[in-house]
Amino acid sequence: MQTLPKIHIPLRAAIAMVRDYARSRVMEQVKSVAFIILYLIGFQMLVLRTAPAQALQISVGVGMVVFGLTFFLEGLFLGLMPLGERVGLQLPQRGGIVAIIVFGLLLGVGSTLAEPAIAALQVAGQSVTPWVAPLLFRLLENEPGKLVISIGAGVGVAVAFGMVRFYYGVSIKPFVFILIPLLLIASVACALDPNLNSIIGLAWDAGAVTTGPVTVPLVLALGIGVSRAIGKQKGGSSGFGIVMMASAFPVLGVLILGAMLNSSTPAPVSEADFFSPAHRQTALQLVDSDNELLSMAFQRGGETGRQAFFADEEKYRETVTSLKDPVVRRNLLGKMSLQEWFLQRASDTERAWIPVEFLQKAPLTENSGSEIVSVLRVESGRAMRAVIPLTALLLIVLLLFLRDKLQRADEVVLGIGFTIIGMILLASGIHLGLAPLGDQVGRPLPRVFQSVALEEGRILLEPFDPGQVLTSFQLNGESEQFFYLKDRRGTPRPVPFDPARYDPQTQRYEHIIKRPPLFGPKLTLAGIGLVLLFAFGMGFGSTLAEPALRALGRTVEELTVGTIKRTDVVRAVSIGVGLGLIVGVARILYEIPTIWVVVPPYLLLLLLTFWSEEEFAGIAWDCGGVTTGPVTVPLVLAMGMGIGGELNVIDGFGVLAMASAYPVITVLLYGMIVRIRQRRSFERTEKANENG
Amino acid sequence: MDNFSETRHEVARITCIVHQQLSGEVTNCLRTLGVQSVLVESARCVRQRMRARFSGLPGLLVNLTDDPMEIFRTTVPRASAERVVRALAATADLHTPGHGSIYAQDLFEVARRCDPPEIQPGVDGDEIVLRDMTLLTGILSMAGSGDALAGIALKLGAAVPVISLGSGTGIRDRLGLLRITIPPEKELVHLMVPTHDAAGLQRLLIEEGRFDRPGGGFLYQTPIRAGVVDPLMRIGRQEHAASIEQVIAAIDDLKKGTAWRKRFLGLEPGIDSARRLVRNHREIGFICTEGQTAAFVYAAMCAGAAGATTARLRRLCFKDTDDGVAACERGILCVPAAMASAVVDALCQVAVSCGDPVFRLQLIDAPIVFSHQRNGESQP
Repeated sequence: MQTLPKIHIPLRAAIAMVRDYARSRVMEQVKSVAFIILYLIGFQMLVLRTAPAQALQISVGVGMVVFGLTFFLEGLFLGLMPLGERVGLQLPQRGGIVAIIVFGLLLGVGSTLAEPAIAALQVAGQSVTPWVAPLLFRLLENEPGKLVISIGAGVGVAVAFGMVRFYYGVSIKPFVFILIPLLLIASVACALDPNLNSIIGLAWDAGAVTTGPVTVPLVLALGIGVSRAIGKQKGGSSGFGIVMMASAFPVLGVLILGAMLNSSTPAPVSEADFFSPAHRQTALQLVDSDNELLSMAFQRGGETGRQAFFADEEKYRETVTSLKDPVVRRNLLGKMSLQEWFLQRASDTERAWIPVEFLQKAPLTENSGSEIVSVLRVESGRAMRAVIPLTALLLIVLLLFLRDKLQRADEVVLGIGFTIIGMILLASGIHLGLAPLGDQVGRPLPRVFQSVALEEGRILLEPFDPGQVLTSFQLNGESEQFFYLKDRRGTPRPVPFDPARYDPQTQRYEHIIKRPPLFGPKLTLAGIGLVLLFAFGMGFGSTLAEPALRALGRTVEELTVGTIKRTDVVRAVSIGVGLGLIVGVARILYEIPTIWVVVPPYLLLLLLTFWSEEEFAGIAWDCGGVTTGPVTVPLVLAMGMGIGGELNVIDGFGVLAMASAYPVITVLLYGMIVRIRQRRSFERTEKANENG
Repeated sequence: MDNFSETRHEVARITCIVHQQLSGEVTNCLRTLGVQSVLVESARCVRQRMRARFSGLPGLLVNLTDDPMEIFRTTVPRASAERVVRALAATADLHTPGHGSIYAQDLFEVARRCDPPEIQPGVDGDEIVLRDMTLLTGILSMAGSGDALAGIALKLGAAVPVISLGSGTGIRDRLGLLRITIPPEKELVHLMVPTHDAAGLQRLLIEEGRFDRPGGGFLYQTPIRAGVVDPLMRIGRQEHAASIEQVIAAIDDLKKGTAWRKRFLGLEPGIDSARRLVRNHREIGFICTEGQTAAFVYAAMCAGAAGATTARLRRLCFKDTDDGVAACERGILCVPAAMASAVVDALCQVAVSCGDPVFRLQLIDAPIVFSHQRNGESQP
């Protein structure tokens, strides 16, 4: 047989081809992230009335996100997804059911270890305290290994179950109708125990975040391959449903782990009791040493806890004063800066113990160094860990176990390379650009709804002349002292004078800069409405840019030959995430118990699943699993932390679970609309026939 | 194994395109008829949707809407073809607008094991079938161009377009890694049009669909022996007791043909389009296990074909003794008649060497082919 010569393309033509190709792909990603970027900046400038800080770093970060998404998605479509589908196609033919189960378990556990969701969960639980939620604290801080294993086991069982389902051509509905009520019952049972109650949010969020941006497309492609090879399911969209199970089984895994550890975990106590020397032995079950307990009192506790820790008042004062020493400060405050501690944790008494001039001199942040380089280095390691082991597992199974050839090997290798580059750029870009931007908007968000002025910072006026203080009178005769202070633009503004803050000996006056509430001192309803609107927009915009969802949307469009459009799927999911975030934020604002926001939407989902068609049920439940990805999670957490931190809510859990549940509702509803539309021509003629 | 290519069987390929809701009934009917296996492909059909403008403004809004369809393909002895068409048309009630269409095409089939099914008696209906139809197949490269062509076909009142997806292989695969810059996705548009108007419609579609530009695509005709068309081109608001398409379908049935509606008389073809219309081609379709296509296409290209379009299929087996392979692929090549034998031989050789259990090859005349390529070579 003769061989075909390779067509030689002149360099100039080749460059033009690559340029056009790259331009189209980059522009696609620019469109996908434009909404969220403009939305965040617009909200910051128009509502919060603050200018974006670190603009250069954020711009670089956003650029990296765009290029990261471009490389990542192209890599998925060129390399990982064809590879996964090929393995899925060959596995039933050459391996059989046992091989499918073993491979499913390995892939599930491997993917969880490769893309640990625990980091995101730890961020969400960074304000968890061992006295309010001892079991939750123990799982997140003391025994994260067991938590990862329980999540990994859940994902492994889920992938194996999913593959077996395709092998025997079983509908997804029985799995939904058994699994979800089981999870709801388990959650309700856990809600009855004060310790287990605290881990319900963690369990549901673990289910939501466990399926990472590499795992989801891979599992999806694999499922489609197995489903095609078996050919038992009709319709174009068979192959969906594994992601749903990979979101549900880890919930069960975490709840079971919690139940197992509950008996050996202390019960919740008050903060003072927890830190008191009398209770020390119980506290040390959760914290390793006295020193760690002390730093816990500084980082997560309040004045009550610190006072309780020191039986001796003098020692207490001495320790607080010693925060001036950088070494002590690092030991006690960890990554928290003194300013942050001062604003967030210190009481007025404690603030008075630390000289103000020292506070002004202290470095703003404790970490330093070239951030971009260090972020790139860290993210490179993570990307390699996320992509290479999973790809290696697939290649080993395909080449050695299934004895198959790798088709278009050069393209697959290029795709894997693109995926790694994309992940590095995407994660670094999010770290440098998107997350700080979300943080800048998310953290001051409470100003929108809170009716009190918030302290923004302090300045020291030295020397201060009290003779320049003026008095203003109201109509009822009440007086108020004030003086003029120039703002950043140099315009003199009247600011209230507080005699208690003037030290005649040093002639110093400490002025506290306060930012007034956005909607006046009494109006909060409009502010809350605005926060909820912000939550919706952020959920909607960040989901539009979520890479795993884009991969799923494209797969759905291909399998349904375009009768279900990818843009419609992505929009339906994005609306769902937006609605989910509204509920999640409302839960934080009104302190609604997690169980009350988890159970009703899932009961509604059971009903909708019952009514919906098989193929849409699989797609919709998978959509729920792909929403909480690398773009959405940091932004949602920044917002959740901002609001939760300000309201002293125990944790920010539950928001992600909502961002996972509501998209399933919207996609199921969208599916019903599509089917009604598609049946219109068909059913009309059916009826005509019956009448005729 | 030379006898592979010697065993050319005269068969008829039945292509039944039905709404996804009817796929179960069609599958059962095919099983009852005694068909051994059938290939199923997902597709969609495009129709115009008419609705009133908002706020009672005058005029109607017309946009395109699509329905999920499934294409069933199987081969039967030529003698049984019309009975099978009638039986399936009766089962799926294809004379009711919106249910789908069906057609039979006479072709030669080469297969490792070709046992034409014995069609069970007593299942054929008395449906009226049209005998003067032609299949226009457009293979388009640009994303969304399938909808554009479908829109033009509906505007011209040609037929209800059915769109399926495929992947292009050929020159793209000879570019090395640069191939990733060219998207492989193709859209295949199937139009069942009256034979008398086929040439005129093809010219209009070439001109209005901008096939005559680089990357425009490929459009060719293959003959249909008998079939039933779906007349439901428009849904939504109707101004009359029956749509014009329904009236035409009724007259077709009364006149038992479509010759009466010849309309492209005296149509002057565009000079450039006419120059690029080439004749005397063959459409070669081969079916193989999924993942094997690359070897077949490579062999065909070595034998002179410019490339192929492949599509994924689901294979349903009705006999327990069958091999049980479910995931298949179909490759389509359109080559000059003189080259067809060499390509067929090359494909058969690959089938022998790789021992593909589901391989079969189908050969049909493609009398008029249009491609942007100057020599009109096979580049689907």
